[in-house]
Amino acid sequence: MNAIIALSALAILTMFFGVIQKKSVLLPLILSGLIIVFFLNVIEWGTFKHYYNEMFIADNFNIAFTAALILTTFLVFIFSALYYRTVKRPLEDIYALMLFSLIGGITMASFGNITMLFIGIETLSISFYILAGSKKFDVASNEAALKYFLTGTFATGFLLFGMALIYGVSGSFNLQAINSYIIANKESIPTLFYAGMILVFVGMAFKIAAVPFHFWAPDVYTGSPTLITAFMSTIGKVASIAAFYRLISITFLNVHDFSVDILMLFAIATIIVGNLSAMTQDNMKRMLAYSGISNSGYLLFAIIAMGPKSAGTLLYFSISYAIATITAFAVIMLVREERGTFSLQDYKGLAKQNPVEAFAMAVAMMSLAGIPPLAGFMAKYNIFSVAMNGGYVWLVIVGVIGSMISVFYYFKPIIYMYFHRADAHKKIETTKAYKIHILLVSILLIILGFLPGLVIGLL
Amino acid sequence: MIEYIWLVPLLPLIGFLLIAFNFKRFQGSVSGIIASSAIFVSFIISLIVFIEIYSSKQTATVQLFHWIKFNKIDISFSFLIDQLSTLMLMIITGVGFLIHVYSIGYMKGDSGFNRFFSYMNLFVFFMLLLVLGSNYLIMFIGWEGVGLCSYLLIGFWFKKHENNNAAKKAFIMNRIGDLGFLLGIFMLYYYFGTLNFNGIFFQAHMFTIGNPTITIITLLLFVGAIGKSAQIPLFTWLPDAMAGPTPVSALIHAATMVTAGIYMIARSNVLFVLSPITLLIIAIVGITTALLAGGIAIFQTDIKKVLAYSTVSQLGFMFLALGVGAFTGAMFHLTTHAFFKALLFLAAGSVIHALNGEQDIRKMGGLKNKIPITFFTFLIGTIAISGIPPFSGFFSKDMILIGAFEANSIFWIIAVIVSLMTTFYMFRLLYIVFWKRSNKEDLHAHESPKNMTIPLMILAVLSVLAGAFGIPLVFGGNDIIGNFLSPIFTESTNIIKINAHEISHNTELLLMFIPVIFVFVVVYLAYYVYVKQKKLPEADNQKRPFFSNIFFKKLYFDEIYNALFVKPALWLSDFLHNIIELKVIDRMVNQAGNLVVWTGKTIRYIQTGNVGFYLFAMVISIILILIFKLFI
Repeated sequence: MNAIIALSALAILTMFFGVIQKKSVLLPLILSGLIIVFFLNVIEWGTFKHYYNEMFIADNFNIAFTAALILTTFLVFIFSALYYRTVKRPLEDIYALMLFSLIGGITMASFGNITMLFIGIETLSISFYILAGSKKFDVASNEAALKYFLTGTFATGFLLFGMALIYGVSGSFNLQAINSYIIANKESIPTLFYAGMILVFVGMAFKIAAVPFHFWAPDVYTGSPTLITAFMSTIGKVASIAAFYRLISITFLNVHDFSVDILMLFAIATIIVGNLSAMTQDNMKRMLAYSGISNSGYLLFAIIAMGPKSAGTLLYFSISYAIATITAFAVIMLVREERGTFSLQDYKGLAKQNPVEAFAMAVAMMSLAGIPPLAGFMAKYNIFSVAMNGGYVWLVIVGVIGSMISVFYYFKPIIYMYFHRADAHKKIETTKAYKIHILLVSILLIILGFLPGLVIGLL
Repeated sequence: MIEYIWLVPLLPLIGFLLIAFNFKRFQGSVSGIIASSAIFVSFIISLIVFIEIYSSKQTATVQLFHWIKFNKIDISFSFLIDQLSTLMLMIITGVGFLIHVYSIGYMKGDSGFNRFFSYMNLFVFFMLLLVLGSNYLIMFIGWEGVGLCSYLLIGFWFKKHENNNAAKKAFIMNRIGDLGFLLGIFMLYYYFGTLNFNGIFFQAHMFTIGNPTITIITLLLFVGAIGKSAQIPLFTWLPDAMAGPTPVSALIHAATMVTAGIYMIARSNVLFVLSPITLLIIAIVGITTALLAGGIAIFQTDIKKVLAYSTVSQLGFMFLALGVGAFTGAMFHLTTHAFFKALLFLAAGSVIHALNGEQDIRKMGGLKNKIPITFFTFLIGTIAISGIPPFSGFFSKDMILIGAFEANSIFWIIAVIVSLMTTFYMFRLLYIVFWKRSNKEDLHAHESPKNMTIPLMILAVLSVLAGAFGIPLVFGGNDIIGNFLSPIFTESTNIIKINAHEISHNTELLLMFIPVIFVFVVVYLAYYVYVKQKKLPEADNQKRPFFSNIFFKKLYFDEIYNALFVKPALWLSDFLHNIIELKVIDRMVNQAGNLVVWTGKTIRYIQTGNVGFYLFAMVISIILILIFKLFI
């Protein structure tokens, strides 16, 4: 709860400094603010507080995921200086919207009542709709915003309808109360309740971009400004998957048999379609959009299996996915700015000219592909082992095949960077700070690969 | 000090890393000094640990960390410090240190000086891991590691193609043995549920003598030992391994690595005594190898090849000891052999060094006065290996001969013959290399520098004195080594002794002195042939008598292996590559890849970019899920 209050204050302060045109203060203010928020959040560890009739529950799951979300936002803000370096105006609106969507994300990881879930999702999504269109004079950005808005509201409609049906049958929005209803009436739950569940699942599947509700993702991610894409594809995914896990682990665990095959359908379709589509992309941004889709499939494994290590593995996977994705986007931003496109061709010979950036990109790609000993490998290994312990052998086989396919496209940029000769490109000039940041982030990926037990053991 | 045992292997590893990362930077003998001091400190620590173990008679397991923990498997990275492993520690670090110091002189000016010492330190690291490991897996790491270093060092001068072939041959031959060892480890894990020595040996009591499972396991382990310790049929790599620098031959292919097989069987003695069949096979393989290799050594003309076959022969001797249950004898002979064979190799190296790389003994002669220190130390080595009392070789060989006699008098007779052959080829070598022949002009030779001759002298002293540790009871000695190692072998020796007949002291003395008398006869015989008659081995192209030709051609082992294994293997590889790989597997893999790419391209078309279509697809999906879940 501390985190949300402090973040709201920080966002309002951001807008205030924007209004009085103090551009130089903004980023330091936000970054230091995020660090403070991070600690405010962490000190609540182990307290298990309930607020407002269990609307908001501050348990360890919430705190861990909130910390992950704040960390991710922090990393995105670090690279925002590079992305907006040519923009003169203070950009307080964009920064504030990013902070507001972070608040939405945190709410999604800590709700105790499904109305609160809805509020969280909407806070996140509406900020995203605007952020996607924040490049005002770019057609692609406008298109992305409108597409996201149209499909998003559509999905929200289903989600809300599903919630209404659940309320209609069980008489409560409270997660525990719904759970009690399920336990009490195990044999005689009406079909309407299940229909409600399916609709809620569809809404959540849309938010994590699971197939067949993923259509918006490639177009929106490609069209949006790159920094925003990095932000949406990490914060949006992590918050939504946390919300999904929370919903199922608290409320629908006793009807899990019913949910499992829908979720498995989502997971398998997502992995197959996500990976196969990513394979033929020549556009790095679009490739990462599909990579994000396919990772949703792996994340679903933990929710399907619902083992004792599911929550911890979900956290670890989310963090390693988020860090790797942000690293990749940070390099993509740079290359796009200097060389004009997102095409793979632009990465030819990058290793010779910009070894640090190429190294970071290579680490990010290898982590996403799941090459040991990087974080991505440990994440995939653990999530597969969770599924394996739950007895979902076929799921793991699909996951491994998908993972194999993914190596093909994740290694493409590495091959271009390291084994192709640069055509006519010059060395990209970057600041020292950027180099250090990107190196630190990629080293974080390597270190994280050695401490999976530490993160997984948290939850 | 025992708890700091991890320093012993760590120091050579640090030495290796230090040199490897400063490959291009180190000039002069810096890397040699670093490498030698790393081993020296290891030696000091080993010495302290050895004394501690010797005086306390305790054993200890030092647990470093849990290495593999998965399900029921729990393999820890831990070291077993007992009499056997500390004895090996002393040999590896002690002899290793001397050879390192010697190498600083021997390798001086070689362009690969730094590379050489990094490999040598790496080798010592793996060798220490091999003997210190408290379970078969750690031992296996060391086992593979020394194999790798052996490969690297045999092919050290990689610009010469034959050296590379020799390295490959050693590696492949060893792989065959390693496979056996690995299968043995798998079976051990399957039947015992652990790989810890203590755990396995404790459970071994539950098996009866002659249990087929134990027989298979021990045979597989023995296959590993055959490969590593160059026994028939996998011995042909060792003579070829002489392509490496001479200190390598001394350290790896005489004193340490090739004795790993002996160490492994001695370590597993509790298992081996449960299988009399395996022991018999070990004895037969050992004695046959000793006999054939001894025969071949008599007809070789390359100074290092003679010593190489001599090593094979002596290793066979040790296997005979293991086979007849004289474990202490095997370990004792291993120790003394490490001293005098390292000495002989280093002295041979000094000869080669003096003659600027000449290895053909037919081109040597009369070096006695020109390189006196080398000559004198070589002489001591020769006497020691020939088993002339009171040099060390006499006592260790005697221990084995007595063991052989107790088991089976045929073994004893063959062993005595082998021992006489040893005397003959060693004195033949000595006379040809060092005695002057009038028909030869004087060779230009210079004595080696101090850092080469001092290790020689130390090893010479050890070759003379090491026998004192095993003076048998009949001579009023107290069999120090036997008592020292008894905690490890007593149980097994008792099982074996049930069938053997005890021999009286008089018989023992008789058995000891009959060979010695013959040894003197053979020494004179060699003197008569090679000094009095000044006989020289024939030139390579000259026709030889039938018998001599067979041995000169190494019994055609290489040719037979070529025809039997290498050619068919090459043909099979050819078939697998051209038909199976290219025509079948590649095509399948490519088709699978094409299918995936095609699907990827096709699936892209559903991403039309049309929002109306997206919403339509979503609705259809929802309807299908609802129907599927709620109404069917």
